[in-house]
Amino acid sequence: MDNILISSTMKKSFGRSLVYVLPMLLLTFMFMTGGRPDFSNLSSALAIGVTFLFVNILYFLMHYTGKTDKFRAIIFIIFALTLSFTLIKNMLEVRSSMSFSQADILECKIPFCHLVIPMMILPAAFTNSIIFPGSIIGGFADISSMVVLWLVATLVLGRGFCSWGCFYGGWDDGFSRFRKKAAIKKLSEIWKWMPFAVLIMVSLTAALTLIPTYCDWICPFKAVTEFEQVTSVESATKALVFVSLFAGLVVVLPVLTKKRTQCSFLCPLGAVNTISNKVTPFTIKIDKNACTECFKCVEVCPLFALGKEEIKAGKVSVFCSKCGKCVDVCSKNAIHFGIKGIPAGVMKNFSRNLFLFVSFLFISVFSAGSIINMLQSFFNLIF
Amino acid sequence: MTDSFILGISSGSACLVTCGMVMFPYLLAGSANVRRIISDLTLFLITRLAIYFILATIAWYFGQALFSNKIVRNVVPGILYIAFAVMLVWYSIGNNRTKECPAKIVKTVNNHRLVPIFLGVVNSLGFCPALFIILTKGATEGTLVQSYLAFLAFFAGSSLWFLPLPVAGIIRKKEVLKTIGILATGLAGIIFMIKGITNIIGGIING
Repeated sequence: MDNILISSTMKKSFGRSLVYVLPMLLLTFMFMTGGRPDFSNLSSALAIGVTFLFVNILYFLMHYTGKTDKFRAIIFIIFALTLSFTLIKNMLEVRSSMSFSQADILECKIPFCHLVIPMMILPAAFTNSIIFPGSIIGGFADISSMVVLWLVATLVLGRGFCSWGCFYGGWDDGFSRFRKKAAIKKLSEIWKWMPFAVLIMVSLTAALTLIPTYCDWICPFKAVTEFEQVTSVESATKALVFVSLFAGLVVVLPVLTKKRTQCSFLCPLGAVNTISNKVTPFTIKIDKNACTECFKCVEVCPLFALGKEEIKAGKVSVFCSKCGKCVDVCSKNAIHFGIKGIPAGVMKNFSRNLFLFVSFLFISVFSAGSIINMLQSFFNLIF
Repeated sequence: MTDSFILGISSGSACLVTCGMVMFPYLLAGSANVRRIISDLTLFLITRLAIYFILATIAWYFGQALFSNKIVRNVVPGILYIAFAVMLVWYSIGNNRTKECPAKIVKTVNNHRLVPIFLGVVNSLGFCPALFIILTKGATEGTLVQSYLAFLAFFAGSSLWFLPLPVAGIIRKKEVLKTIGILATGLAGIIFMIKGITNIIGGIING
């Protein structure tokens, strides 16, 4: 009984939840319609309407039920799927193929993604040039808007970007939810440092060769977005590496371990976001007075951010992506969203509301474009 | 050049992990001022570079003599890459690393001025899997200059790890850096394993 009472503290009444949703309704409507709603096109109006309702219902449920991760995961996974759909659709329309040729590289027609950012820093500093063959400003998936979006998100959310903004994370997050129990329960935590090794490797090699080496040789998400045309043994090997890494780290291992293994063991941007976690105002706090050390949170953490040591010390590690899984599973409400400077166990509701508002607004606005795009394609088929 | 550089990074991290504890005190012993540390470090790096150029020359001439056939030129190095890459990955797994560092011999040198040179020789000739891989690469390059460039990139990658030596005392999370270094070594092993497979398939198809 006691457990139920304590766990229900994050729940809100129906009316109060509605009040919390009002500002989100207004902002998402503005962003989705660009401030000038145009309902002349039926499929476009329907797509915007459905997306608008979808995101706001999720936000309402977060407040009404007091659960975070469950509803975050829904939009996060849908974001990953629709973004891949949008990218593939765009490439098929522009070049009739998912693969790109050397001509596309020379014409800077490659869509940019945030994973390239760590490789751009050193070459940009030393040569004043951007090493990615994409559009710098304007056009589909241009470099400047993606860099600005990432920069703002990572400064505000820290590694929260990996659970509330990354349009690839939803893939392994989704697969990590396939089984009820993990088939592989023990994984050495040493691997969580691998993204830093990858980061060092790709940043330095990109600086030396002025080629985004991660995209060129490693990125598993090439398997679901775009890849170099297979014209030689080398490009075939690259395609094989992309597919193998996708199958291994994004599909098989997450299913078997219930962990986000690509994000934990490979992603170089995850390593950068881990560093920015030190400056973000939002964090996850552990209320030592309420914690019974049941370690359920350790078990469910998908990114190896929580260990028994961290719980005993009352502090989550810098690997935390603020997905909220640990918060949802804690029956004592001992682990909660917090703000740096405010002690653990204090202003839990305020901290959660503020974090949810910022992070959910970001993911809903960021994901809306691709969700609307996919729905519009679907409605176009029907009507 | 990229792969040689990657290999250099991995080799440098491995060197630091095994030999760091031996090399730090000798390079830094009695050197209160930064100028002395930098001059010792420069001498150490120049010695390494010189040794690598000698190795590049020897490897390339050996390669010319041994790999004259086009298929052999791709397939044999491919097999060697895979074998050494497996060794590199094996080496990166904690329990398989040699606990003893060859640089320990430096204890026998009394002249402090000779220590950086001696360490440079011992360090560059410490026959680890990474050096075997770069020797294979040097042997299969088209020209002697390309072989030098491969060794130069290897040197540049491995030297990066030595640059923080003067400030080693103030680095707090040495264990974390050590872990990342070891993982980078394993990663380089995997990269060269892929390169080896590509070489073999390419050699057979194009041969």
